[in-house]
Amino acid sequence: MTILIGFVPTAAGEAALAAGLSEAVRSGEDVVILNSPRRGATVDADLIGEDVAEDLLARASAQGVVARVDHAEHGSDIVDTFEALVDRTNARLVVLGLRRRSPVGKLVLGSDAQRLLLELEVPVLAVKPAP
Amino acid sequence: MSERDERPAPARRSDILAELEAETAREREEHRPPAGGPAYQVASTLVALAVGVTGAVLAYGYGLGTLRRPGAGLWPFVIAVVVVILSLLLLVLGRHLDDSEKFTRSSLLVLVGLVTFVGLGVLLPVIGFEIPALLLCVIWLRFLGGETWRSTIVISLVTVTAFYLLFLVGLRIPLPHLF
Amino acid sequence: MDISAFLDGFAVVTEPQNLFYCLLGVLIGMLIGVLPGLGPAATMAILLPIVYTVDPVSAVIMLAGIYYGAQYGGTITSVLLQLPGEASSVVTVFDGFALAKQGKAGTALGIAAIGSFVGATISIVGLTLLAPLVASWALDFGPPEYAALALLGVLLVATIGSGHTVKALIAATIGLLFATVGRDSFTNASRFTFDSLQLADGLDFVVVAMGLFGVGEILYNLEARYGKAHVPAKVANVWPSRKDMKQSSGAIGRGSLIGFFLGVLPGGGAVMASLAAYATEKRIAKEPERFGRGAIEGVAAPETANNAAATSSFIPLLTLGIPANASMAMLFAALLVLGVSPGPQLVEENPELFWGVINSMYIGNILLLILSIPLVGLFVRILRVRPAILAPITALITILGVYTINNSTFDIFVMIAFGVIGYLMKKTGFEPGPMVLAFVLGAILEDSVRRSLLIFDGDPTGFFTRPISGTILALFVLVVLFPIVGAIRTRRSARTATTDHSDREDSPR
Repeated sequence: MTILIGFVPTAAGEAALAAGLSEAVRSGEDVVILNSPRRGATVDADLIGEDVAEDLLARASAQGVVARVDHAEHGSDIVDTFEALVDRTNARLVVLGLRRRSPVGKLVLGSDAQRLLLELEVPVLAVKPAP
Repeated sequence: MSERDERPAPARRSDILAELEAETAREREEHRPPAGGPAYQVASTLVALAVGVTGAVLAYGYGLGTLRRPGAGLWPFVIAVVVVILSLLLLVLGRHLDDSEKFTRSSLLVLVGLVTFVGLGVLLPVIGFEIPALLLCVIWLRFLGGETWRSTIVISLVTVTAFYLLFLVGLRIPLPHLF
Repeated sequence: MDISAFLDGFAVVTEPQNLFYCLLGVLIGMLIGVLPGLGPAATMAILLPIVYTVDPVSAVIMLAGIYYGAQYGGTITSVLLQLPGEASSVVTVFDGFALAKQGKAGTALGIAAIGSFVGATISIVGLTLLAPLVASWALDFGPPEYAALALLGVLLVATIGSGHTVKALIAATIGLLFATVGRDSFTNASRFTFDSLQLADGLDFVVVAMGLFGVGEILYNLEARYGKAHVPAKVANVWPSRKDMKQSSGAIGRGSLIGFFLGVLPGGGAVMASLAAYATEKRIAKEPERFGRGAIEGVAAPETANNAAATSSFIPLLTLGIPANASMAMLFAALLVLGVSPGPQLVEENPELFWGVINSMYIGNILLLILSIPLVGLFVRILRVRPAILAPITALITILGVYTINNSTFDIFVMIAFGVIGYLMKKTGFEPGPMVLAFVLGAILEDSVRRSLLIFDGDPTGFFTRPISGTILALFVLVVLFPIVGAIRTRRSARTATTDHSDREDSPR
């Protein structure tokens, strides 16, 4: 069994990583860090580079957790990508970071986190960044 | 000794070219459908040939006149004959070129795009530009671009409104419009 | 050179409206250079309808700005993302991205901006001095000279330019054929109009250009499978060190010259110049192994050369009325729409336009030098927008734009038809560039040839007996024979090389 952490280089993503790692330490499971770029754009602000990825892996192994980084792309529906990876890695838990969105923001821009919370079949641990 | 001196200079130029060609080929592989085969080369050359022949025949009909007093058809006739000659040359030489691209499933996207263009052209004078433009945006974003419905609707509305403001209010260019 | 006209040109450029359009043009140009998909020629085609609504000088200044601005923009993605934004920035990827990986992205961008500015400015100075001279020399040209020159230009673009030569020639000649549609001015007969009233006046340059380049490119891009997302390199210090500048000064100087000369050549241009400059630097470098690993000259040389070439490619258009490449063909079309006939008489008859455009390039390049670095962050963020979102916007600009020319839906359909032609051409390896170039030149070329025949009283050898047109046609024949001779020689040397090789294999170690 593994724990799947959805990571983006923001405070919410950091919070998710921290929570996911401590959960993995507690249960002795492996971690898969999913940093998924959107298909199509040349640059994706959420995508992390090699150096950042290595840093994350170093942090994980410092806590004694076996981790790997996955960069599976997603199309218009991120839920599909998460579900596929959950199946492939036999994940029993998904950890996500939540960011504050106003109702208008949610209406216009949508909320990936909300859809993942509602549609994923495995339990989801939703973490908020420290204020 | 002299041979070895001669070899490096053109080799260096050709290795930059080779690097570049490899680079562009890699890009092409990533982004474009695979290369088409000889059928594509032959078919396209035949089309060019047909254009040339048709042009020559029609031009002949406009009257060639003489060099001293050229008729309306002389220049197009000469040009069309050159097209025919070059096309025949290409038929012989060009069968194994690799600069064509296959038609794949993504070519259907192009067909849909084309239909929306024609549709906009047809509907524009009838119901103004807003609705056909909106439809075009929706089709391109949702079906050709794989965007979510939310994203599609928001972007389409913003785009059409922006065009409305830009053309009709800002630049005051008359476009047929409904609202 | 007429100094007062030159100075008056600056007065024209510094009018607020022209400054605005200059700024707009270079910004759009940089944006196009950064974004994948559309190139400067396609963008100029799509924005041609602007020429109908805006003051002529402003319109041309803006279109020109798009062209040389794109040379600045293409560098950004080459250095930061290892992706060339424009074909003329492909060579910059090698050393530019290597520098970025070493944390010196800012240095690479900085030296590219400086080199671009120096190259462009040297080229503009050359243009300023040379253009009036060439124009006055060419005033003596008669129809035969002009015809020979136009033919040579089309041939060079087809031969030297990208794409298979025979295919480019076929595209060009079919373009000439399209130019004959409509009423023949000499005999008043209608050609290829198929009884259509709208075709009686011929095919509109702007509509055809928008179709072949604009719609064609848009349709072609619909099939692109976009590659993986890239993480842009961070830009830290921007100002290159004194050592870097010293090291690149030679490259910049040489790049400017190479760019200037290759840009004037029809079919040459920015891409070839960047290649040649890079190859030259690598060949004369004391340590050529540095190239490809972050040699600063490997960025300075091509970036200088491509800007120099982009600028000098204006010379054939402004002095002889021959567009050197597809983007210049767009400017040519714009000038025709404005009722200005490009040619040697342009400097005399329209000094405001002539000097206005040339002097706008000085200002435009200064603007680009100032803006290109601060805007890097903005452009990288713009690259986050998915191409799927930009596509319908571009499509709408094109269709609505072409409609505004004549309020005619027939134009929309002609544009779509040429768009399909352009798309099919790109799919099958025929470059639309030579077709547009030849189409735009076609009417004038035919006119010159027929007038020449009148002068020679029907005797075509007259082309060869006149000294200037004879020389040009001799060059024409040389250009045609050169690749054929080259092909025979390489085949012969390949045969001797294999025999050498087999000899060496047999000889004992």
